[in-house]
Amino acid sequence: MPLDLVNMLSWWQWLILAAAPPAIIALYFLKLKRRPLEVPSTYLWRRSIEDLHVNTIWQRLRRNLLLFLQLLLLLLIMLAVLRPGVKGARLVGNRFVFLIDNSASMQATDLGEPRLEAAKQAARETIERMQPGDVAMVVSFSEIAEVEQEFTSNRRQLIESVAQIAPSARATSLREAIKLASGLANPGRSANDDTDVQVAEPKPATLYIFSDGRFADPAARLGNLEPVYRPIGADAASNVGIAVLNVRRNESRPDQSQAFARLENYSQAVAEVALELWLDGEMIDAARFQIPPGESQGFQRDLGPVQAGRLRLAITKAEFLHEDGGRCDDQLAVDNEAWAAVRKNRPANLLLVTPGCEAIRLALTTELAGQLANVTIESPEVLDKDGDYARQAASGAYDLIIYDRCRPREMPHANTFFVGALPPISVRLPPDREAGEPEKVDLWRAGPEVAGPRIIDIDAAHPLTGWLDLDDVLIAKARPLEVPAGGTVLIDSHLGPLMAVAPRGGLEDLVLAFSFLEEETGDDGAVRRFAATNWPIRTSFPVFMLNLLHYFGGGQAGLDTLSVQPGRQVSLQSPAAGEPLQVIAPSGRKVALPVGDLGRASFGETDELGVYEVRSRGAAVDFFSVNLFDPAESNIAVRQQIQLGHVPVEGRTAGWQSARRELWKACLLAGLGILLLEWWVYSRRVSV
Amino acid sequence: MPSQTSAADLLSAELLAKLERMELVSRKIFRGRMKGERRSRRKGQSVEFADFRNYVPGDDLRFIDWNTYARLDRLFLKMFMEEEDLHFYALIDTSPSMDFGQPTKFHYARQLAAALGFIGLVRGDRVKVLPIGESPRRAAPVLRGRHQLWRMLEYLNGLEPGGTVALAEAAKGFCLQNSGKGILVLITDLMDKSGYEAALRYLLAQDFDIYLIHLLSAEEYEPAVQGDLRLIDCEDGDVAEVTVTAPLLKRYKQTLHAFIEGARDFCSRRGILYFPARNDLPVDRLISGYLRERGLVR
Repeated sequence: MPLDLVNMLSWWQWLILAAAPPAIIALYFLKLKRRPLEVPSTYLWRRSIEDLHVNTIWQRLRRNLLLFLQLLLLLLIMLAVLRPGVKGARLVGNRFVFLIDNSASMQATDLGEPRLEAAKQAARETIERMQPGDVAMVVSFSEIAEVEQEFTSNRRQLIESVAQIAPSARATSLREAIKLASGLANPGRSANDDTDVQVAEPKPATLYIFSDGRFADPAARLGNLEPVYRPIGADAASNVGIAVLNVRRNESRPDQSQAFARLENYSQAVAEVALELWLDGEMIDAARFQIPPGESQGFQRDLGPVQAGRLRLAITKAEFLHEDGGRCDDQLAVDNEAWAAVRKNRPANLLLVTPGCEAIRLALTTELAGQLANVTIESPEVLDKDGDYARQAASGAYDLIIYDRCRPREMPHANTFFVGALPPISVRLPPDREAGEPEKVDLWRAGPEVAGPRIIDIDAAHPLTGWLDLDDVLIAKARPLEVPAGGTVLIDSHLGPLMAVAPRGGLEDLVLAFSFLEEETGDDGAVRRFAATNWPIRTSFPVFMLNLLHYFGGGQAGLDTLSVQPGRQVSLQSPAAGEPLQVIAPSGRKVALPVGDLGRASFGETDELGVYEVRSRGAAVDFFSVNLFDPAESNIAVRQQIQLGHVPVEGRTAGWQSARRELWKACLLAGLGILLLEWWVYSRRVSV
Repeated sequence: MPSQTSAADLLSAELLAKLERMELVSRKIFRGRMKGERRSRRKGQSVEFADFRNYVPGDDLRFIDWNTYARLDRLFLKMFMEEEDLHFYALIDTSPSMDFGQPTKFHYARQLAAALGFIGLVRGDRVKVLPIGESPRRAAPVLRGRHQLWRMLEYLNGLEPGGTVALAEAAKGFCLQNSGKGILVLITDLMDKSGYEAALRYLLAQDFDIYLIHLLSAEEYEPAVQGDLRLIDCEDGDVAEVTVTAPLLKRYKQTLHAFIEGARDFCSRRGILYFPARNDLPVDRLISGYLRERGLVR
């Protein structure tokens, strides 16, 4: 680096300065006045001095050390006056925001070390180039953005806060981070609403983004933030990851379950993958595939009879065969493992609301039905009261509610079976309806009552009506259904559909067009009850009721446990309202969760990957798993250009420009040091 | 007559009482001129039997052990311990360099000479205390017997530091005047720029049993000086300009140590017993402790 000097003094000032060294030398020779002292003999002193004179140059130097130090001090002052400088680098601007990506893809090791470490190193290098007086803040971002360090000019503090950023397994959203940064950089604008008007003079700032660019380009407004993008990572990256893992009931054999997984190869090379499937710490399967570049590979495995357990699928080895014959290993470990919890069947919670129907009650109190469901029986009066029913129906505490000849005021958060009644669901008609049409119409409608419909068709493929033989069933009267869009007719008669099922959100409503028991008030005012059908005394009826319990009950509630992405909220349901839940994380960490009135709780500490267990009163009641399952994170190839709003930002390897670095302060500091040294030498030779 | 105070200055009553029980020890066998009180290592005529030896022609027939002859038919001579007196010389360096320290090295040397001389006097030895350096105004007396103590003290009190005679010259003069038998204690600081080795060689040539007490002041061991100094030699007026720094002081101490070690080495090679001494150590402790340990007195 060439030294660049600027003359700050005129010639006569230099003359004065140049006179100082001879003056010091003259004073030095003048000042020495020795004190006479009589001694017994100079014999030993002379010999001591002679010994010291052996290395005369050093001695002379030593004797004149003070002189040299004074001359050096003067020289440094003269150099400082010359205002020396060297060509250095400085950052553009004087306010900086450092955004450091700590999402899952930043754990890729394509640079030899995790990308996050490389990003932190790059941020440190940038911070070290800050000038005194520059201020900066540090923000780490993944799906959420966190301020690690507020605006400060303390570089040590900034570097420490950068060092403290920990990797996460979350997805990436730059939008959050930019909103936060622009809110903090421009104090007039709130961080939450970018349509907010500015009330204070905004200060421009430079926004350094240390990331691999694996995020959806945000549509955020930058305001007066000047973006600088430092791509972190190698261009060609090799990764194969698990994109999906779930457990399903075998379609053809409902008592069996199957695990499904999909593996994606995100690299430009053929991947050789070895896969292991573990259930509760026991390996149950292993497989080996070759996945062509950019393609995916499915994996299926029968798990046998439904059983509880924790399923773990792991890529134990992934090797990429490049076209040039080179091989490399998988560079992102976080997507090489996936978990799923297999849930044991639990008895369904079933509510029967009936004015009294022996047929249904008998069918639900068999031994097998008792294993499949806990049955509660209420009379229709509860539907009009604000009691336990209303709260539990809304909270989803029931798996199935059977409304026998009655209907609730509003639909519960449960699957329903309406017997001789219609679900109270109405849909709003579009505004361009014809005049005279009502604003709302019922979704489920029934035609006029007909007598003696004959069953002509049964949907034998549907689980509810499988294995049924209804040839010998007679029906006195029914109101054939008008099945809503998306619904399925299960039992059809020559006069219209008699049973149909239709989805409602994630739930289903089953409607039977006739009831088992009819009531008739005679002329004498007495209420007479008679059977409206002989179905309850046919063998097909208990079969249907078992189908009903299997379909809506615990059979369906099991197996399909929830899988969420890291950092996302999970909504949990307590089996009893007000009973607190406990969540056990994969690491064994226990979190107590208070539960609201409706028995619901929200859990957000899902940063660890793996299976979480939900406990109530010490017993496991539910499981959920946290998996990455994010193609945006698994695809770790670095983007060299990102788009922020409408601004394309090219990646840059260095975020600074060349600038002159002044050295006069260093000169003066060195001078001060020499002054202290001189004082020390002086006091040392006097005091000894 | 010296005053009582000046005599008490040199030797206190307590010290005298201690010294009375001591005697000077010679490592060599000397023939004294008179019978003394001391049992010499020489065999001779006394009543104390020492040894036998074979008879050779010319031996005194009176000492033949006739009883042994009768038993063994061979002639043996009986030998007896000889008792004799001892010549004791104390040489005090009176060069100006001895006039330093608190008390001065010269005073300390006189105290030491007086104490050793007193031991000799008490034991009936022949004691001579004399200065080296300038020739004394009075010839040093030869003393014998306890009653001569006051003469010795008077003479010592009369001595003054001064004169710049080289150590070698002074030793040569001493050797010419005194015969080379007996114990010689030389009390000096050895601060002679022409060297002390020649002086010691003269004395050695006379076959003295030499004890060298190398006396230095505490200020010479640990100089309490600092700053830029012009050091003036009190003997020859030589000037040395020094800037006292920690390295210089360290070097001075190394030189002093080498000087002492050099003297010790020179002496031990030649059979001279060497005692370093410093003026802040009381004389009685030096004699009753150090010199006794090393065998000059017992």
